[in-house]
Amino acid sequence: MLELINKFFNKDNGSKEEAKARLKFLLVHDQVDLTPSQIESMKTEIMEVIARYVEVDKSGADFRLQKEAGGVALVSNIPVSRVTARAV
Amino acid sequence: MSECIVVTSGKGGVGKTTTSANLGVALAQKGNKVVVVDADIGLRNLDVILGLENRIVYDLVHVVEGECRLKQALIKDKRNPNLFLLPAAQTRDKNAINPEQMRELVAQLKEDHDFVIVDCPAGIEQGFRNSIAGADRAIVVTTPEVSAIRDADRIIGLVEAAELPEPRLVINRFRAKMVERGDMMNKDDIMEILAIPLVGIVPDHEEVIVSANKGTPAAYNEDSVVGEAYRRIARRLCGEPEVPYIALNKGGFWSNVKRMMGLSAGGAA
Repeated sequence: MLELINKFFNKDNGSKEEAKARLKFLLVHDQVDLTPSQIESMKTEIMEVIARYVEVDKSGADFRLQKEAGGVALVSNIPVSRVTARAV
Repeated sequence: MSECIVVTSGKGGVGKTTTSANLGVALAQKGNKVVVVDADIGLRNLDVILGLENRIVYDLVHVVEGECRLKQALIKDKRNPNLFLLPAAQTRDKNAINPEQMRELVAQLKEDHDFVIVDCPAGIEQGFRNSIAGADRAIVVTTPEVSAIRDADRIIGLVEAAELPEPRLVINRFRAKMVERGDMMNKDDIMEILAIPLVGIVPDHEEVIVSANKGTPAAYNEDSVVGEAYRRIARRLCGEPEVPYIALNKGGFWSNVKRMMGLSAGGAA
């Protein structure tokens, strides 16, 4: 309901959310100084390592660099489709 | 105890000089002896904002190079005997002085003044390094825009790398109406991103341009909302606790209804 009222009053509908999202992305990437292709290959390699131990759903994996109090954090969420350990 | 505060931003055109001038006036009106230093060598403007451009004989570079005594270069404000300007040289560049010379100059100024306000040039090069050299703390000025906030974030990192205490934030050109309709980041959005303490919000107002036209900072005008915003920043800088923010959203019927319903994200300075 509150959401509807907010929508009616146009709040959070304006361009500021876009500004905020772009800024957050910018600030992280200003600090990290990695090219998009370097970040992409880092993701691929991390996935490869994890896939050696458990079966992962590559399409559902999510990697994000985000700014936190102490600096930049790599936050990832990787769905495991089967937990049984594989033979290494 | 006297204190040197550098006013910086990274990005140009966000209101560093306006902020320096108004804080100088507001602090002097509180009875402090204040000197505002224009560190933008080659592109001086603080003299114009204060309406003192016709009185310049000597400048900061003359002092540093020993061509005049410090007292000869200080210009007393025509409206307030507590306020002084040390102008920048107009025909030299940022490399005319170095951080060590600036440190010495600030130390000398602190002997005779309660506050030394340094108006830093835009950018992160020599001019910035000179400006922060003698500072005890920094004020970072930003506007609620992506580019200005990005540069502010960079400057905050550089201020901290220079081992100055955590800088304090001034949000300038705040437009309550745009915030209310969600087209401008509000105070909380900006603070979430920059994560430094706020020292004031200054509304975007035509008064600022009129003041610049006249060479009379808004802080001299008792009825000015911009002047009041700066007076409150000055009180916070003097350590006065819990100075309230001005209610900025004197909007129309609907914004008042929204505010009553607690739906408005509108601002206060």
